[in-house]
Amino acid sequence: MHRFCSLWVLGMSVILVAALQAPSGMLFALDPSAIQYEVLSPWAEADPIPLKGISSRLDNLSGKKIGLFANYKRASLPIAASLQKRLRSMYPDSQVSIYHSAQWNVTEIETENREKFTEWAKGNDAVILLVGD
Amino acid sequence: MSIEELGTPVVLLANPGFVRDAQSAASNKGMPVIRILPLNVACESTVPTDIEAGTAEAMPSILESLTKPLTAQEKSPRWSTEKPLRIAFKGNYEEVNRFLYRSGWTDGLPIVPPTEEAVAEMMTGTDLPADHVVAKVIPRQGKATIEKIAVNAVMAGALPTHMPVLIAAIESFADHKTRFDTFEVSTGSWAPFFAINGPIRDDIHINYGSGALSPGDIANAAIGRAVGLIVRNIGGARKGIEDMGVIGNPAKYTLVIGENEEGSPWEPLHVERGFQKDENTLTVFFPNSYMQAVPTETSAEGIAQAMQNMNPWSMSCFIVIPSHAKILSDAGWTKEKLKEFILKKVESPIGAYLGREDEDEAASEDILSQPPAAVDTDTLLVVVAGGPGAWTGLLRSVGGIENDFVTKKIKLPRNWDKLVKKYKNVVPVYAGY
Repeated sequence: MHRFCSLWVLGMSVILVAALQAPSGMLFALDPSAIQYEVLSPWAEADPIPLKGISSRLDNLSGKKIGLFANYKRASLPIAASLQKRLRSMYPDSQVSIYHSAQWNVTEIETENREKFTEWAKGNDAVILLVGD
Repeated sequence: MSIEELGTPVVLLANPGFVRDAQSAASNKGMPVIRILPLNVACESTVPTDIEAGTAEAMPSILESLTKPLTAQEKSPRWSTEKPLRIAFKGNYEEVNRFLYRSGWTDGLPIVPPTEEAVAEMMTGTDLPADHVVAKVIPRQGKATIEKIAVNAVMAGALPTHMPVLIAAIESFADHKTRFDTFEVSTGSWAPFFAINGPIRDDIHINYGSGALSPGDIANAAIGRAVGLIVRNIGGARKGIEDMGVIGNPAKYTLVIGENEEGSPWEPLHVERGFQKDENTLTVFFPNSYMQAVPTETSAEGIAQAMQNMNPWSMSCFIVIPSHAKILSDAGWTKEKLKEFILKKVESPIGAYLGREDEDEAASEDILSQPPAAVDTDTLLVVVAGGPGAWTGLLRSVGGIENDFVTKKIKLPRNWDKLVKKYKNVVPVYAGY
């Protein structure tokens, strides 16, 4: 009997020590897979930004001024030239111009070419942007 | 987008692999409905037949995009403004890891669960309140609050003593001179490199000796890892959507080093950049390649020649070991003299990029070949670090994007000494064998 009591006291002591040492939420949870973690989200909040719609489309491209904006990417100018050729062939009464932006990773409107660019963009009825990589 | 805002209808053509990237960029700038079409032309294509085939295929869609009437959503887009939940998940260790991984919020390695208690402990590394916004991190303009930085820091396995460095890192990204906006997501797979100076190096055991850039030191490893998670989870730079690094870069896991100021014969990097010796700083730039070389001659001239042969590009940083720095200094080489010598005969980046020798011809043909800024010594850093041996390291930022090194002061909390004492013994003690 005495031996049983000693073992009981010893066993309870071990459990008590384990419980005291365990972080909150882990009481008596000796099996690691049973330990529960409530975790905070690492994904940040962002302020909502005002959304803008896009401009009305044209009825057709016949007789229109069409701009081809070619960025600094190597393929953009040859693509623009190809599209210019095709558009001129399909719409001989249209005017198709190319604007080449030589600046790397900078929006043209933020460069010293702002006025020239704005004038060109406003002067077109539609613009094709070239090229996403 | 600026053209659409002028009232002119626009269609954007993008390589099919970049359509999601373009959509995300437009959304982040407030125009989620801009019309974007895939163009089946290889990126940077120079093959006329491929270009002709691609434009022929795209032509009907281009015409439709410029003439098809707008939908109600295109006229007046509505966007979900759901606030993210503060508590993300509850589960056991494996479940938490699976959940965060499947949410796209990890770097692929297991993370430490960011519990309320762990995050609170992490925030003891700063005096700033939990809701203080250090910066808005692009591309998503996510708010880098102290709490969100701490959550990601816990996940990365960082210690509270790393928080001041992480806060300075996020502050540095907000400085446009770093061109973080481009480098964090661009195809060249640039990764932030942080050089730490000041007494904090020893307080938090930043390695600046043997294998400083190798795994095995909690500060070097966890600070860079935490920054990577912050870029992903606060900035929203998701691989293959916004982060379009083509090959990728293992340095995105971490690229953090301290300078061996005591082993350097020259003034420390942060003093060179205008700070006091006892101030703690972080200097950042974005290299995308790392190379090492052994000089064939161990004279000062031989070491300098080897560095020159490594051919730094625009914005580069040499890691010079203390023994080489001493040889150079003893022979009268200052950092400035060394930089001037190295840059004097740098191979033309124009020729290197295009594999051509005629700079003028290349420059006139292709904007990619614009001369980088690396013609003055301000585009080159020299950091003294590394262990015994004979190697020199070079971190190169290959590309023509105008940017600059940025140095930020690391601000310590009032309880710094107590905090350092608490975590001072978190160091590896290797068993003998």
